[in-house]
Amino acid sequence: MSKENEYIECPHCGHVNPPGTQLCQSCGLLINDDYDKKKIKDVMRYDGSAVRSKVKSSSLFDKIWIFFTSIRNGVIIIALIAIASAIGTILPQEYFIPVGVDAADYYKEHYGTFGTLYYNLGFHNLYSSWWFLLLNAMLALSIIAASIDRGVPLFKSLKNQGVKKHPSYYKRQRIYLHNEEASKDDVESLVKDLEKKRYKVRKEENSYLLEKGRLSRYGPYINHTGLIILLIGSMLRFFPGMYLDELVYAPEGETVKLPGTDSKYYIKNDEFIIDTYDKDAGTVFDKSLENQEALASNYQTNITFYENETSDIVGSEPELKEVDRAEIKVNHPFKFDGYHLYQSSFDNSAMKSMTFEIQDDDGNVISEPFEINLKDPEEEFTIKGTDNTDFDIRLRAYAPDFLEIGSNGGLISQTPVPRNPAFIFEVKDNDNNEEYSLIQIQDTTEITEDNMYNVKFVSMENEMSSVLTLKKDKTLFLIASGFIIFLIGVFIGSYVNHRRIWINSDNGLTLAAHTNRNYYSISKEINEILEKRNLGEVVDSDSKVHDERMKG
Amino acid sequence: MSDHLFLQISNISIYIGFILLLISLIPLGMSISSKRSSKYANIAVWIVTIAFILELAYFIFRWLATGHAPVSNLFEFIAMFSIMLIFGYLVTYHYYKTKVFGLFAIPISLLLLGYGALFSTDVAPLIPALQSNWLAIHVITVTISYGILSMSAVAGIIYLIKIVPADEKSWRTFFLEGISYFVIVIFTFMIMMIVMRGIVNYEADFYYVNQQGEEEVVTYHLPSLVNYDDAIPVKNIGGNEYDKADHFTTGIELPPIIKAHSLNTVIWSVGVGLIIYGLLRLIARRRLYTLFKPLANKADLNLMDDIGYRSVIIGFPLFALGGLFFAAIWAQAAWSRFWGWDPKETWAFITFMFYTIFLHLRINRGYEGEKSAWLAVAGFFLILFNLVAINLIVAGLHSYA
Repeated sequence: MSKENEYIECPHCGHVNPPGTQLCQSCGLLINDDYDKKKIKDVMRYDGSAVRSKVKSSSLFDKIWIFFTSIRNGVIIIALIAIASAIGTILPQEYFIPVGVDAADYYKEHYGTFGTLYYNLGFHNLYSSWWFLLLNAMLALSIIAASIDRGVPLFKSLKNQGVKKHPSYYKRQRIYLHNEEASKDDVESLVKDLEKKRYKVRKEENSYLLEKGRLSRYGPYINHTGLIILLIGSMLRFFPGMYLDELVYAPEGETVKLPGTDSKYYIKNDEFIIDTYDKDAGTVFDKSLENQEALASNYQTNITFYENETSDIVGSEPELKEVDRAEIKVNHPFKFDGYHLYQSSFDNSAMKSMTFEIQDDDGNVISEPFEINLKDPEEEFTIKGTDNTDFDIRLRAYAPDFLEIGSNGGLISQTPVPRNPAFIFEVKDNDNNEEYSLIQIQDTTEITEDNMYNVKFVSMENEMSSVLTLKKDKTLFLIASGFIIFLIGVFIGSYVNHRRIWINSDNGLTLAAHTNRNYYSISKEINEILEKRNLGEVVDSDSKVHDERMKG
Repeated sequence: MSDHLFLQISNISIYIGFILLLISLIPLGMSISSKRSSKYANIAVWIVTIAFILELAYFIFRWLATGHAPVSNLFEFIAMFSIMLIFGYLVTYHYYKTKVFGLFAIPISLLLLGYGALFSTDVAPLIPALQSNWLAIHVITVTISYGILSMSAVAGIIYLIKIVPADEKSWRTFFLEGISYFVIVIFTFMIMMIVMRGIVNYEADFYYVNQQGEEEVVTYHLPSLVNYDDAIPVKNIGGNEYDKADHFTTGIELPPIIKAHSLNTVIWSVGVGLIIYGLLRLIARRRLYTLFKPLANKADLNLMDDIGYRSVIIGFPLFALGGLFFAAIWAQAAWSRFWGWDPKETWAFITFMFYTIFLHLRINRGYEGEKSAWLAVAGFFLILFNLVAINLIVAGLHSYA
């Protein structure tokens, strides 16, 4: 066994310290002079405790441990994540390109060779790529390892610290004062005064330890804990039931089931509203509105919210009970039962109905216009002609999304969505003359020859659909808490100062002080009291060194 | 209409604020060398304080006029950043009483404000996604944090100007001189835009087909050195009607993936900037940053290093709060997801990671002094990049600002 794995008994006070300890946990004597070559400040950072990564190096575990505890490696991982993130913004990610477009073609067409390369390297989905996630996992490991490696020994050492310290420990500190003339009473009143500055005082024989703001030392570990909670929170999303993200396509006037809610909830889109800003309302905005297209001021869906009372009976017809009515606007989602329903976008590209009329050979309109509902067309109806003749119209065939004419003469539809409707109309006049025509968008084909009556397209009405996003995210609380803990940790670590003052009255007054930041301020605090009692003055011994270093 | 009056008051306030900041540089400069130094410094800080109050008046009255926090487009956002830089300066001055600091911080603020004013300064109503209280909370926190983080860069630049030798052949002199050149390029750009667009009124319209295959007309305010593929010079004959016309072009044409008219402006700025830089270099007969050495030499290096570090430990949590946390809360309400790797979000994340690195290197690996100064300056460029370039280059959800 090498020396590095042995417990160290302090030659001064007899305290047994864990292997690798630099300063005796109890009295602060330097017991491991391997470390003295480093600066004092470094020894004091973790209070001279045994930092695992600096002690052990033999096993594979230790090697991995050392890799992840290294601040240098941690910084490299952070930098790699930042650089990777930047690369992901050079071209739009796949989720920003139009839906339904082939990604490979899109990148090639729009960004040429570079786009193809970007796509082939997988940068179009960079933030969910395995290597990006791996980098993040490595960061998490690094945070955990570095925190445990330093935090645990620091915690132990601060918890077990003794009051009595070896004279060498006093001298080691940046603030040190020795005044032989001071009496025990002087020292006692000095301690009393310092106590008023909210120092916690511990006393052992003639030694005092005054301490405040110890929490400051744990700031980094608190903020790292917050980050780990945040990372765990973002992992939880991949567990079933934690996260739901669904698009709800709700045509105006229709009732739709909310996906992912086990048929429990339905909404009806009562109305979808787009408001725009008035261009000449006489407000200060007129000038900027003047030169552009209508600017939307509001997107809103008015919904009726239903609960299905038979949702737990498999295969039953839904029985909807109205529960609520709501207005969903951007920035104002509708909330129910842990779900949020957001106004996402709208779509009016789907066709709702088409209007036709009948014309004669010369193009004269000879009938009233008639409307065909594209979702549920009427098959037979009668319309009035202009000269008191009625027409019986039969819809012989209909394809909402016309592909081709079938072998039986029917129409074949690609999808049930009315995108490219085609019709075969049979038109019969009072004399029972039958004529057939095939109508497609912008195209009328006579099926029977020499038609007298031409069915002509007049107009089309589109259907307004609201596109809503249904979300349920149980991870939010954890992620938000993680971030708040992180911020609190940063705050504690940055603004709370850990200050310790050791005082001994064996031989006059011996005083030493340590802080994790701002020696100027602690010197001021101590000097104020020393001055009052006429006990001398402390100087930060390192400030000179610091000055020299600064000047390079 | 009181709205119009408010807007007018607001516009006048920021204009006078700008002029006052410019004026404040005179007593501030005198305070450096004069014997009655503290008297001049006091005058200067008073002027800056009044200018800052006027800038706040701009903010409040613009808010009153429009009914929403004036942080909704690029001009308003850059203006707010420039105002917060002055805020950061005043706070720094309050604690450290450093005079040299203002001579660097105030010009940066002015340069930013001037640059921002080149974009449309008209007030516009809010699109639905922006109609939220979080707009004010998120953006104001971010700009305050930017203002404070910028102080670390100002301290850094002073540190570097003082410590980097005048005649050394090295990377550090190269980069520091690069920053002087960058400032000149920005200046050149601003002056060219003011002259060519504002005074000469140079306008050359070109018709071209963009990347999406749509027809577009673009206006060049600087003679066209590079243009779009098959661009046709046209002129507007009222409404949306255009007729063929004759404009100067070099005939160099680029595929529509590159925004040729932006590139054209960049080429002009970089080129003319280089000429101006060359002339100044000829007159000065030394590197331009060394001209500021007499000023920077007055600064205390320890103090600069301390300011550099402190502004980061104040600015960093504030940025995390405003730029990430508040941003995420709002994104969750407006876009239904708190995080979506939108370019602006991503660059805020990168900024966060950058300052994380800064703090770890500084606290754990002893990056103090010059190294820390370089990082602080780099952080400022990162902020500028996210503030300006991302909006102009990359189209994302944040394209409004």
